[in-house]
Amino acid sequence: MTVAPESTSQDAQAYLPDFCAAGTLFIVLLVAELVAIALTLAAHDAGGQFLVELSKTSFFVLWLALLGTAIMCQLRNRLESTGATRAFVISFVVLEVVCLVLAEVSWQLTRIFGESSIIDDTHGNFLLRTFAVSSIVIALAMRYLYVSSEWRRSIVLEAQARISALQALIRPHFLFNSMNTIASLTRSDPAQAEEAVEDLSDLLRVTLSSPRDMSSLKQELETAAIYQRIEKLRLGERLNVRWDVGELPMRARVPNLTIQPLLENAIYHGIELLPDGGEVLVTGKRDGKMLEITMSNPVARGRSRDKDGNKMAMANIQQRFDLAYNGRATVEVEDADDRYSVALRFPEDRGDA
Amino acid sequence: MRVLVVDDEKPARDRLRQLLDDEDQFDVVGEAGNGHDAVSLAAELEPDIVLLDIRMPGLDGIETAHHLNALEKVPAVVFTTAYDEYAVDAFEARAIGYVLKPVRRSRLTAALEQAAKLAGTTLREVATDARLDAPRQHVCASMQGELKLIPVEDIACFRADQKYVSVEHANGQDLIDDSLKSLAEEFASRFVRIHRGALVAVQRIERIEKTADGKNRVVLREGSQVDDKELIISRRHVAEVRRRLKES
Repeated sequence: MTVAPESTSQDAQAYLPDFCAAGTLFIVLLVAELVAIALTLAAHDAGGQFLVELSKTSFFVLWLALLGTAIMCQLRNRLESTGATRAFVISFVVLEVVCLVLAEVSWQLTRIFGESSIIDDTHGNFLLRTFAVSSIVIALAMRYLYVSSEWRRSIVLEAQARISALQALIRPHFLFNSMNTIASLTRSDPAQAEEAVEDLSDLLRVTLSSPRDMSSLKQELETAAIYQRIEKLRLGERLNVRWDVGELPMRARVPNLTIQPLLENAIYHGIELLPDGGEVLVTGKRDGKMLEITMSNPVARGRSRDKDGNKMAMANIQQRFDLAYNGRATVEVEDADDRYSVALRFPEDRGDA
Repeated sequence: MRVLVVDDEKPARDRLRQLLDDEDQFDVVGEAGNGHDAVSLAAELEPDIVLLDIRMPGLDGIETAHHLNALEKVPAVVFTTAYDEYAVDAFEARAIGYVLKPVRRSRLTAALEQAAKLAGTTLREVATDARLDAPRQHVCASMQGELKLIPVEDIACFRADQKYVSVEHANGQDLIDDSLKSLAEEFASRFVRIHRGALVAVQRIERIEKTADGKNRVVLREGSQVDDKELIISRRHVAEVRRRLKES
């Protein structure tokens, strides 16, 4: 299962292959025929005629494969929108039902045409055998599709995370404003200008590290503090940040660049648009094995700035948390009239292992 | 030339002042940290040029420029911005002066030298193209040289009054220069036309009632402080008013 370079990100994120495509149909038929051969070989004894048995089994299995593929071709678009686990469970059930219906039909047909010898078994036993064999084969196929789709998705996600982490930090707005501030300080307060250049360099250095890297909570909080210093030069009294994170274990490992982008969002979408500024509140809590960091900021009524950009930043953090904690982390957004808050919940990872 | 510097960030204002202090032909006469102060300072100091940041809390740069246009002595405006793709495109398209941050001396003096005065219609187009917070959040009335900003959310209705438009709002009544037609377009999401000469804020309408002579008229919510006796809905507009009222 290779990802064609021209495939769009949407395709790359699909769980199921395109069953309507000729290539997929060919592979399905090939696998079905191999299964038929295996089954016949397993049941074959010295007295039987191998080819006759093979043709009977193939006839049944190929019908099943064709019908199953046709149904999956119809269902695929609807299944894609339900999420991975559901899509696979539903496909499994649907295919199993197709299988049993087909088995029952063939049984009845051989009775009607009086060729009962074709299926050399009792009714109940035949259905049971069909069910057992098909369950195993379908489950294996589903597992294969699941693993390969996850593998494809992780590659795409990683690439996206890398790009969007870069974009998220070096928001041009921030970069140019900081440069302007530094240009101004070079004359009025050279010492502070020097410090600002150092801070900005540190921040850019962190951005250039891989977004898949993990860093410690301590490091993350330091990066956010550097960012806060730069913004404070620009916004002055308008920016206040209250850090209430004493409860958090500083050694805990978190994905690189998770707290600073949240603070940047709080400033860009909140504080900056308020004439008198406001206070960003960062709280950290420890709840058993789970850690929770909440960032909340006041927002200006009736003024929103680039909601899409904010959604993208949130999706980016969600993706990176998903990758880092195998889906055990959550990112919750609360968008009230006058306050906006984001809560990150993730398992504590001390990185000893 | 007398220059007024407007930016919500102090270092950004300092930077412009530093650069202009070195130039003989420009003289910084004042600084403002927000749009409101900018408008009143401009009225008081009558600068030739206003250097105006686009992204400011409260009144943004484009809206401030709009209000500057209502002053007796309209200053030329040069916008400053760190990064606003859309705004920059809009300025380029209409040959409006702007300076990018970090501000470069040569660029700044060039922009100031060719600063042009902007008309209200141009600004509205810029605001739309720049995807800034159009429509305006205030309308602007000038009374004997003094400028008054009326928050749009306080306004109950606009009424055409001969040459002017009268704004009826929470704190009384004022005359403005905008035409009813342009107001209707700009505030289409908030106001509905009830007859040829009046726009009413949909949110302020309590109900529609029949008068003794069979006409429809708008009854405003309490506290609107506007005489609603004359808010008769013309036959042409009844359906539209009912529809908007239902939607709200």
